Amino acid sequence: MMHLVDTVEVEPEHVQEYLDVVSNLAMAVMTDAGASFVSCATTSDEIGERVFVQVVWAFEDHVRWNEIRKNMVLDPRFHEYGAVASALRVGGTRRFFTLRTLTPSP
Amino acid sequence: MILRRFEVYAIRPDAPADQARDLETACRECGRFIPEVLDCAIGINRSDAPVQLVWEHAYASPEAYRRYMVHPYHAVVLDRYILPDAPQRIVVDGPLGAGLYGYGCDAPSYRMSEGWRRLVLLRLDKDSRQRDVERLHAALEQAPADAGEMVVSVMAANTMGAAWFDGVTPVMGPPRWSHIWEQGFPTRDALDSYRNGDSTLAEVERSGWEGFMDGIVNRSAELFYEIDPGPTETVRRG
Repeated sequence: MMHLVDTVEVEPEHVQEYLDVVSNLAMAVMTDAGASFVSCATTSDEIGERVFVQVVWAFEDHVRWNEIRKNMVLDPRFHEYGAVASALRVGGTRRFFTLRTLTPSP
Repeated sequence: MILRRFEVYAIRPDAPADQARDLETACRECGRFIPEVLDCAIGINRSDAPVQLVWEHAYASPEAYRRYMVHPYHAVVLDRYILPDAPQRIVVDGPLGAGLYGYGCDAPSYRMSEGWRRLVLLRLDKDSRQRDVERLHAALEQAPADAGEMVVSVMAANTMGAAWFDGVTPVMGPPRWSHIWEQGFPTRDALDSYRNGDSTLAEVERSGWEGFMDGIVNRSAELFYEIDPGPTETVRRG
């Protein structure tokens, strides 16, 4: 299983708007394309800093991601989502993580 | 069948310069990480078309292309700068339509390790007869006989524009540019000499293809750039 982790930086006053975009656009686009929603979390908006919004999606592997990617690119809502999200964010990263099993030493 | 492919990017005007360089590097060095990527080079567009970066490359077969598509470097590194929802996206949707063009061919007659590349994107009349397209194909590929400055001339249908998923099967409608005319010149002077010269095709191009072969070419656009393959060891050849 893999996780796609988007960590997006937004101004505090735009956090709710960005979360609405995730709820209303990204959720539909990503899940219809074949990804599973895992989590959404934010840093504090009470400390005078920009807020990081971290959204995590799951899928089997890079082969499956390639199919999800195709489905997204062919979905007009994906391009709308991209345009709206880019207008709200001021920075961020995307990383792919592979889940690892930890085996504690006896 | 070899798949010849071009990705063309318009960089966001406010994109950080270091990130633009990172995208150039990611494209130029792709062959180091994905062995299926052949003849990998980049170029900075010097034509008036409002796009900046061109990434030219090839695959030995559709199967090789499909391995590229599922390689982590593609999803993790290249897409980081490109996909519409990627937080580090630095490209914008280009005025030339989707910035992916390419064609299938039997031999790498496009191959040049240095020099200047010129891409002429063509939109042929959608009702063109096959024999007229073949006549145009023959005329364009014979261009070096009339224009000695040109050392590479390949004309083909832009199949990759719609078949970008597996290299063979269209997953969307016909692309805005139906055909590609890929040219090569040893130097910028040779390129300019062709563009300003008196060969038949140079004159046809300057006239906007007006009336050429019964008006088979409806529209065209050009890109040209110096080929930058990066360090020699990163260029793989089939």
